[in-house]
Amino acid sequence: MTDRIVGILILFLALGYALEASRMQVGFLSDPLGPRPFPYIIAILVGLSALWLIFKPDPNPTWPPPRFWPVLGLVLLSLVAYAYLVVPLGFILTTTLEMTLLSVLFGARWWQGLLGALAFTLAVYFLFTEGLGVTLPVGRIFG
Amino acid sequence: MRWVTLAVVVLTIGGALAQFTPRNPECIAPAGAGGGWDFTCRSVAQVMQDLKIVNQPIKVTNVTGGGGGVAYANVVTQRGDDPNLIVAASPATTVRLAQGQFSRFTERDVRWLGAVAADFGLVAVKADAPWKTMQELVAAWKADPSKIAVGGGSAVGGQDHMKVLLLGRAVGLEPRSIKYVPFDGGGQALTSLLGGFIQVFAGDASELRAQVEAGTVRVLGMMSPRRLPAPYANVPTLKELGYNVEWVVWRGFYVPKNMPTPAYEFWANALRQVERSPEWARIREQNSLGQFFMIGAEFQVFIDRQVNQFRNLSRELGIIR
Amino acid sequence: MDILQALLNGFGVALEPFNLLLVVLGCLVGTLIGVLPGIGPISGVALLVPLTFALKMPPESALILLAGIYYGAMYGGSTTSILLNIPGETSSVVTAIDGNKLAKQGQAGPALAMAAWGSFIAGTLSVVGLMTLGPLLAQWAIRFGPAEYFALMVFGFSTLSALAGKNLFKALIATGFGLMLATVGQDPQSGISRYTFGFLQLEDGMDFLVVAIGLFAVSEVLMLLEEKTPGAVRAQVGRIYLSFKDFMGSLFTILRSSVLGFLIGVLPGAGASIASFVAYTTEKRLLGSKARFGEGDLRGVAAPESANNAAAGGAMIPLLTLGLPGSGTTAIMLGALMSLGVTPGPQMFQKHPEVVWGLIASMYVGNAVLLLLNLPLVGLFVRLLAVPAWFLVPAVLAISFIGVYAVNNNPFDLFLMAVFGLVGYLMRKLEFPLAPVLLGLVLGYLMEINLRRAMTISNGDVGYLFSSPIAVGLWVLAGLSLLAPVLVARFRKQGLGGDEEL
Repeated sequence: MTDRIVGILILFLALGYALEASRMQVGFLSDPLGPRPFPYIIAILVGLSALWLIFKPDPNPTWPPPRFWPVLGLVLLSLVAYAYLVVPLGFILTTTLEMTLLSVLFGARWWQGLLGALAFTLAVYFLFTEGLGVTLPVGRIFG
Repeated sequence: MRWVTLAVVVLTIGGALAQFTPRNPECIAPAGAGGGWDFTCRSVAQVMQDLKIVNQPIKVTNVTGGGGGVAYANVVTQRGDDPNLIVAASPATTVRLAQGQFSRFTERDVRWLGAVAADFGLVAVKADAPWKTMQELVAAWKADPSKIAVGGGSAVGGQDHMKVLLLGRAVGLEPRSIKYVPFDGGGQALTSLLGGFIQVFAGDASELRAQVEAGTVRVLGMMSPRRLPAPYANVPTLKELGYNVEWVVWRGFYVPKNMPTPAYEFWANALRQVERSPEWARIREQNSLGQFFMIGAEFQVFIDRQVNQFRNLSRELGIIR
Repeated sequence: MDILQALLNGFGVALEPFNLLLVVLGCLVGTLIGVLPGIGPISGVALLVPLTFALKMPPESALILLAGIYYGAMYGGSTTSILLNIPGETSSVVTAIDGNKLAKQGQAGPALAMAAWGSFIAGTLSVVGLMTLGPLLAQWAIRFGPAEYFALMVFGFSTLSALAGKNLFKALIATGFGLMLATVGQDPQSGISRYTFGFLQLEDGMDFLVVAIGLFAVSEVLMLLEEKTPGAVRAQVGRIYLSFKDFMGSLFTILRSSVLGFLIGVLPGAGASIASFVAYTTEKRLLGSKARFGEGDLRGVAAPESANNAAAGGAMIPLLTLGLPGSGTTAIMLGALMSLGVTPGPQMFQKHPEVVWGLIASMYVGNAVLLLLNLPLVGLFVRLLAVPAWFLVPAVLAISFIGVYAVNNNPFDLFLMAVFGLVGYLMRKLEFPLAPVLLGLVLGYLMEINLRRAMTISNGDVGYLFSSPIAVGLWVLAGLSLLAPVLVARFRKQGLGGDEEL
């Protein structure tokens, strides 16, 4: 059953993908083939495979226990927050927080996680910025 | 206009006294390592350090994406008044600005600093190609444009394509009849030329030097205002041959629009010192770059004119509507 | 004789104390960079270029250092693939398939040692190839035009079923997803943007590294979080040494993959990632039921790791003999050399023999150094698995963040990484194979662009795709590869029939 639902979703993805291709505005200086045929072929390939999935689904997968979903959501949310905050707050602060969160989720005590995260982040930060000359965000709030 | 230039000169001389010293200076190369912008940043940063113009090393950051658009948007929206930042630029920047490829941003959203060197476009064929001169190539091209594939290192609408279209226009060919094959960089286009898959390569002087010295390619015409030194000394410019095509790949910088005046003058003065130094002359020579120097208000005017010119050309040639 | 004399002079350069030090330093830094997930050869070489200017090195020394980092990073890339199922770089993605299975079976040590030996043999063979066949192969590489590349990509896809898990259609969907990702960005042939939805950050296309780290590393962390229950299978320290028998069993895989990887590496634009994919899929199909590919076979580690190192050696050929960079990494080396006053090109062997032969000799030295360096490290790396998960996993992820961020200096990539992490997690739960996504992404772009170049050149004549012996050869190979399962089955049946008659 799960595969059927997934198959339908993928079918919609393929249709949307093809629709977007059909709406491309091509200037008159394009090559003989143009930018559309390749996406069309991909959409057909994916669409047909999705149909197969709908008609011949695999047995249902084993989903994680319900209490895992909030954890998953938290981790993904923290990663998105990390992407937005790494420049304003700086690499050291954001990475320490992200690592602490993950450590705690992996079963560490919060102070264990925090100490480990801080020590590691600092070490890595100086290794990369001083040792290898990589630019990592310092954090605008400290600028 | 002249008094503006004069004012800038006076201010620049005064600028040296204005005591601005950059803190953690940075040069953004809006593309990956190994490209032209990366080279501009790294070599200029190196000379500024060697000449002790800056007392801290200039950090080079590669901010890639959108053909320089990501860096442009970044500078405009987030670092609009940063006094310690310069950003590498070239006609690839102005072409994209002219074609509106940097989303809503225009050439007025930054302040243009100056240019310190230039590369020049050229037209090359394989050493054993039947065309010995530009005139012979043009004759064959006009006779049947579908038989001649012209390759370049940029996408349709990009620098190398513009060169080809300009040449096509100069010889009286319809843009649609020209077969242009885009490659991922000049190196791959050159490989295809040597393999005989394309007949003509619209490249730059610096890319072709080793091949010209080895005699594997024949350069038919330069898109420079004057003839270049060896190994190009015997190659006529397209202008000499009567085709009004020039393509100057200047290498320069822009800075954040609201950079404080003392900082702007510091950087303008720094570029002036770099350009005059023997170190810079040596780097130019090693990389087959020509002399090209423009700074401050003069450069700003030059950029405004160039963007306008590219915009009109792109419309005329059908690249944008 | 000339070659030997030149090589001796080369060793004279490579064994100068300063240069020898640089080889060791390059190998060491390269291995470190390679081990760190997300930071691969390109970033490694790019990071160290400024150092060569700052120290005002002579060009041969600079090239020796950069090359050391290049193949050092290739060596190190397999480590996290094997230990943690987190690929160190794009060319070690397939290594994770069998490598991590082995680690979970307590075979992490032999797998790491196999990667080191495979890399050593492939690296050394590719230097021999570079030295003896360089100019010849360069001429071969030049004869690869758009039609030939298109056929090569078709051949690459024809081996796809080797990456499929239980359900071929799920593998097809995964490949299609990779192909979709390959079409994101500005289309060079028409100048228009496709599937960028107004994001400037997507104009240059999906970064392979961002997709790989998201799909593999982030989703692996999510899987580990889910499996955090007591008794879940985790990689164990287990055996450390590689037995002679295992080594001999993989020798032919290493040799074949070296040749394949080397030839692909010579082609400008193809590169180490494609080499590792094709070597893995080819070996899997060649060995068939004799091997347990996908369930933890040492040959599944040996094939991609040999191929990517051989490709790194092959990629030096167009650079040194023609002055044409075939990969991102060699493009950076070209830039560095030009700034140091050496213009690589057809006359490089005559004009700068000390640079070329010094480099070649240093590559022999470097490969030996890397083997000596990496074999003892195996014991150390394997013990990393004894570090508690609460520290090890977040730490590895933190380094991946640097890798993702430092490529483009763009936080948007971190956001994309998170999105691909979720996609990867769902794909794993639903039993979609992940490797085909990357295959589609790598091959898709080259496939489309070369087809369209070919059509532009031939004014739309499809016959052009079959117009050269190389192209026809590749089409035949692709056909054979697609038919291989059928042919092998028939062959086996006939063989059995023969036995019955006796």
